[in-house]
Amino acid sequence: MRAPLIHRSPMPGLGLSMGVTLTMLSIVVLLPIGALLLKGATYGLPGIWDTVNRERVWSALFLSFRLSLFAALFNLVFGVLLAWVLVRYRFPGRRILDAAVDLPFALPTAVAGISLTALYAPNGFFGQMAAEIGWKIAYTQWGIFIALVFVGLPFVTRTVQPVIEEIEREVEEASATLGATRLHTLRHVILPMLAPAALTGFALALARAVGEYGSVIFIAGNIPLVTEIAPLLIIIQLEEFNYDAAAAIGIAMLLISFAMLLVINLIQVWSRRRIGYV
Amino acid sequence: MHIEIDEISKQFGTTAALHPVSLSLPSGALVALLGPSGSGKTTLLRILGGLEFPTSGRVLFDGQDATGLSVQERRAGFVFQSYALFRHMTVFDNIAYGLNARPRASRPTRAEIARRVTKLLELIQLPDIGARYPSQLSGGQRQRVALARALAIEPRMLLLDEPFGALDAKVRKELRQGLRDIHDTTGLTTVFVTHDQDEAMELADLVVVMSGSSSGGRIEQIGKPQDIRARPATPFVRDFISA
Amino acid sequence: MSDTPNIRFRSATEETPTARWVLIGLAFAGLGILVFAPLIAVFVEALADGVTASLKSLASPDARDAIRLTLTIAAIAVPLNAAFGIAAAWFITKFDFTGKAFLITLIDLPFSVSPVVAGLCIVLMFGANSALGGWLVAQGYPIVFALPGIILATMFVTFPFVARELIPVMIEQGRAEEEAALTLGASGWRTFWTVTLPNIRWALLYGVLLCNARAMGEFGAVAVVSGKIRGQTATMPTTIEMLYQEYLSVAAFSLAAVLALLALLTLLLKTALEIRHADQLAATHRH
Repeated sequence: MRAPLIHRSPMPGLGLSMGVTLTMLSIVVLLPIGALLLKGATYGLPGIWDTVNRERVWSALFLSFRLSLFAALFNLVFGVLLAWVLVRYRFPGRRILDAAVDLPFALPTAVAGISLTALYAPNGFFGQMAAEIGWKIAYTQWGIFIALVFVGLPFVTRTVQPVIEEIEREVEEASATLGATRLHTLRHVILPMLAPAALTGFALALARAVGEYGSVIFIAGNIPLVTEIAPLLIIIQLEEFNYDAAAAIGIAMLLISFAMLLVINLIQVWSRRRIGYV
Repeated sequence: MHIEIDEISKQFGTTAALHPVSLSLPSGALVALLGPSGSGKTTLLRILGGLEFPTSGRVLFDGQDATGLSVQERRAGFVFQSYALFRHMTVFDNIAYGLNARPRASRPTRAEIARRVTKLLELIQLPDIGARYPSQLSGGQRQRVALARALAIEPRMLLLDEPFGALDAKVRKELRQGLRDIHDTTGLTTVFVTHDQDEAMELADLVVVMSGSSSGGRIEQIGKPQDIRARPATPFVRDFISA
Repeated sequence: MSDTPNIRFRSATEETPTARWVLIGLAFAGLGILVFAPLIAVFVEALADGVTASLKSLASPDARDAIRLTLTIAAIAVPLNAAFGIAAAWFITKFDFTGKAFLITLIDLPFSVSPVVAGLCIVLMFGANSALGGWLVAQGYPIVFALPGIILATMFVTFPFVARELIPVMIEQGRAEEEAALTLGASGWRTFWTVTLPNIRWALLYGVLLCNARAMGEFGAVAVVSGKIRGQTATMPTTIEMLYQEYLSVAAFSLAAVLALLALLTLLLKTALEIRHADQLAATHRH
């Protein structure tokens, strides 16, 4: 006999909680995503390909994914460092630093966008300093990179922090008694233990950066082929009521981010199985 | 190696963990530090291993002052209560860890490392588990791997913190003999911490009975098991070994 | 411990003091440049022409309409998402059914979808060009370029927040207390109000706080569905964009400063919750 889909339970509220969950999930998330996929289906694969296979679209997609990757890599390194400092060290200002990590979650992206632009524009506080050495940040790919680092900043720190808290001191001590220097211990014992969580944070930061719009458009300059990000192309198509093209680019973005998440999830499953804890 | 503990005391903040204690452990002895929790036995073991530093006093190895030696320089094979195996490494890599961590100049070749690990796996009578991860081992196997890992660095002494604490009664009995055999094979001065008086009496050549108090742990009696049984030096020892 | 004979003792699990201070310095420098500087810049730019100019721009009709609209959206979207979060967490943690992991993945889906794509989805579903949207417009209920569309877009991007906070907490707490209440004769609702809700209230507040911050600040999805009609569908973030494009820097940054203050308040409350009610929150906080 097959197991029932829903096991009998003495708990009340099955009908209500299931009804509310599935109805709202459908209306708010599933049906709209379905509408996008349906639009793509009626437009057809050749149509999607024709839309995407243009220099301007390719360069926007490539730009978005490349800079997101760089920003997520930066956040991977800095995020692990930050998590380590926040968990292991005691120093004045630690609580403020810890709370500040979450600011990119709390600060609206448009606010972050205009503020970063004000700072890094040629007449801005950091922009002027950079200009002295002939480095232009705002309205170049550097500006996009900085905005993407900002929005992805909290992810790695917040996934790695609890793991550092749970590391047994004895494991580090064991490494030291076996003659390993502190650096050797960090490199060969601690970093491998943090890797799965850091990878999760990296994936989240990457997914966030790829889709980011608000904090980027102000600082990007939005020059086609140079600093135009993929989400902006969707907006441009929509403003021209070109729904098919917008849907085509949207589907391409959706597919690429899902593929990336899938790859990262597979790496994680593999590494967890290898280390042997699930 | 002969170990001399000279008036060692330890304070954690305002709490005293060890009242000044002195102790002389002859080379090649198998010594039990026996006492209830709070008697400072683990602190004393960690001071020997270089994981804690004494508030006052000295540690001498073969007459040389070793108090200032860092944990890496001590070359003490330390087996932790939780074993502290590296769970992201295979058994082989766990045992080879100490050799791989050496500076390049003194690091054995790969082949030499493999040879030594294989030999150690044979010593602990688990020749076929090199490719497994710690999570795939039983408690008793983990303990023996931790022992092999500690032995791989060619330690000057072997220090074990409650080596049988996490095991069930049957495995405990088997592994006691295992530790005795390894001690006899290697001839290393071996110190283990336990709160189980049977274990101490059955296994050790020399038993150090410790007790705790608000002024820190202190040594109640040092002696051969049969002497301690026959002539407990203090009421505490009498109570503790008859418990 | 003034009688420590050798000062150079260092615990085996610590870095050298130099390394520690370098790492702490890097943390301060990084967060200073990336987080504190933009935060300060918002207020500096807002007050560039003095407090009066800034307050005056906030009192303008456009700004007031935008603030009112944003508050309205949050007042509708956040309670709806809280209700969804509670229902979903109840369904997922109190019952055993096939496909639970898949359902959780679906609830998390909005986190991996670009807000712009989310807005696009809603336009394609409810826009005047679609079958459903066309019919609704004919009935006099436009969704896109109107309040309902903005609310839907806001709900889409904030959809997982409350559920994600509640599910781990409710898994940890188990079902025993509810079962006890039921055996004592309490009704389902009574059990929920008197047993479950008191146990999850801080986690719920935590989720609502994050949901609200994101709801008031959402830009990408709202920019797509709102049409940014001044006085009607321009929210605070989209108004900031329009003012900024018109080089009304003080006005844009003044409105931004209001949202930044809200963000600071959110962080303050969040930190307070983490300190005072850590035991009743989920063990980890990923967003």
